[in-house]
Amino acid sequence: MPFPNVRLANRPLHFIYICDCSGSMAAQGKIQALNQAIRQSLPGMAEVARQNPEARVLVRAVSFADRAIWHLEQPTEVQQLQWLDLQAGGITAMGEALELVAAVLQSPPMEERALPPVLVLISDGQPTDDFDAGLASLMRQPWAQKAVRLAIAMGHDADTEVLQQFIGSDPGGGLPAGEIPGASGQTPMHRSGRSPRRPLQASSATSLAQYIQWASTAVVGAASMPASRMAGSGPQPNIPLPDLPPTLMDPTDDVGPLVW
Amino acid sequence: MGSARPSARVWRPETPSQPSVNWILPEGASLDLEGISSPLQVLRGLGGGTQGQVFEVEVAGERLALKWYLPACIARDPHLERRLGESIRATAPSDAFLWPLALVKSSQGAVPLLRRGEPSFGYLMELRPTGFVGAHEHVGGHLAIGLLQVLRASFFLAEAFHALHLKGLCYKDISLGNLFLEASSGRILICDNDNVDVDGRDLGSVLGTPGFMAPEILMGRARPGANSDLFSLAVLIFRLLTRHDPLRGRRELAIRCLDEPARRRLYGEEPLFIFDPADPSNRPDPIEHVAALITWPIYPEPIKQLFEQTFCTGLQAPQRRALTGQWMAALAAALDQRQLCASCGQETFPAPSDPAPLCWSCGCPMPPPGRLLLPHGQVTAAPGNELHAHHFDRLLPLRLNQPLARVEAHPSDGDLLGLRNLSGQSWQAELRTGNRLMVEPGQACNLAPLVRITTPAGAVELPS
Repeated sequence: MPFPNVRLANRPLHFIYICDCSGSMAAQGKIQALNQAIRQSLPGMAEVARQNPEARVLVRAVSFADRAIWHLEQPTEVQQLQWLDLQAGGITAMGEALELVAAVLQSPPMEERALPPVLVLISDGQPTDDFDAGLASLMRQPWAQKAVRLAIAMGHDADTEVLQQFIGSDPGGGLPAGEIPGASGQTPMHRSGRSPRRPLQASSATSLAQYIQWASTAVVGAASMPASRMAGSGPQPNIPLPDLPPTLMDPTDDVGPLVW
Repeated sequence: MGSARPSARVWRPETPSQPSVNWILPEGASLDLEGISSPLQVLRGLGGGTQGQVFEVEVAGERLALKWYLPACIARDPHLERRLGESIRATAPSDAFLWPLALVKSSQGAVPLLRRGEPSFGYLMELRPTGFVGAHEHVGGHLAIGLLQVLRASFFLAEAFHALHLKGLCYKDISLGNLFLEASSGRILICDNDNVDVDGRDLGSVLGTPGFMAPEILMGRARPGANSDLFSLAVLIFRLLTRHDPLRGRRELAIRCLDEPARRRLYGEEPLFIFDPADPSNRPDPIEHVAALITWPIYPEPIKQLFEQTFCTGLQAPQRRALTGQWMAALAAALDQRQLCASCGQETFPAPSDPAPLCWSCGCPMPPPGRLLLPHGQVTAAPGNELHAHHFDRLLPLRLNQPLARVEAHPSDGDLLGLRNLSGQSWQAELRTGNRLMVEPGQACNLAPLVRITTPAGAVELPS
């Protein structure tokens, strides 16, 4: 006879992509790279969701250019998700995008009980609207304060200052806020200098795909089911973040822009 | 500059055929590694996490699994190599462990072949056989499995930790993530044995996984060892038997965002067993925690008492937690009294002493079943129930993996129960008529006309 038809109670885990679709994303195939990276990451994300019976992983996406709009408005179970391509064109209404996210993180529509949401902001440029107002209204939401906020800078024209503000201050310290190891050419690139509490520098389609994969699998895992804990890791933040993926051997990675 | 890779800076999307995992060891490569005499061929990557990656490899014609560590993991855990070496010398406590077989290190010549160009090490183990799936598949409700197999899996888990603890070792980090099940048999495999350490020595960095860690470890009052293993083992058995968490009841509902501070409160600061007989304030919620409420009544009292022992008194008193041997005894006894409900067919576990048991599933009264009386214990005559050597000799250890006999329904008449001889020796069956017949190995005999079966291990009595 089968085991009774019951399963572990689960909580929703909202995962929201906030994607820059401004005109510059059309250059050099960046928007295609982003679409491809997200699409490629979905099977792994679905697998992690299945391995975490405590979580019901629900994905949404905001795109921002001249305006911010919901690209994927319905919270969608990752197993059912079919990614529609983002299109690039326009300016960079990043502040408005954060307003949109703020609106869905208030309860209701946010569930009364949930796992910490994961917000992933991906940008290649500067906000052209009132970013501060957008961030302020986002951070008024308790669920946004509890959220794991990650940022991916595509290329070296991204405004790492605003991306760092989105993440919040890096408790690990080391580099000044907004500074990306290797980005300025002054700070030597060192693996241990990378931190998930700082904007992740994606300088190629491959590293972008790695970071998207990391955010959608390792981070989703950490936010939904705790991982092994090591001694001496000190006081834990809201959600201890997993190690970043190992860097590639590609020696041209992270040395700075070559073509644009 | 960059002329050799002119397209490197263009955001050309990865083609769908390209794997998205970056394997540290190049697939297809043949590596000369320290620790083994033959070259190791990397066949394919199997999976990866924050600690390292696992590969299918071939060494001297044998297919094995290789776990290869990321340097960051080695840096966090300076005694890892020493512990692995000691585990390899100690050999596996039982075949339930995918135990390290050999330590391999990158030799000078192999380092340039590694994707990151950094020296590291790993260990070889057996490949996980097909048919074993992650225990999360069961807890998440994705696995078709029966109560018999779930109880067996729980027994095998307790048995594996029994063997580990008897060797003076401890595991430190049991969780759902390290446990694999075979749904058809209930057999288990325990993976990730790289935190295993001599109990009490504390030559390691791992503390455990929140939700499975004992409160004193989570709160930093003690370091993991055999006593904290007993807590984690009880959590894991509870999760297998109920598909729920022992400490998540109404108190969890008061938590809006289940993050680290919240888990710390539930599992460390204010832990309370959801079925604590003395304090009902953390009972399961009838809607949110229905799995616990449906499954808990299934199990016999001795199993519930071991949970109470571990999650009530044992919560703050590590030396009072249920021991591996107690779990084995209670789980084996539950399997012995397994009975199928005549009305709904569901598996039930009424105590032989219960005068008027009701089916937990449909509520129907359960008529007294046929029983097989053995020199040491009794087994209900229900299809799937098995006789083991320990039923005949109380000095033998409890083992479920080599049954001597199994109760089976007749293939065309399900009401007809027989006992199949799974031993290598002939039995003599005695009928009510006084006649005798031989039951050869592999044969089954109809139980209805029998009064006694004489086996080389001992007698099986069938009271009328």
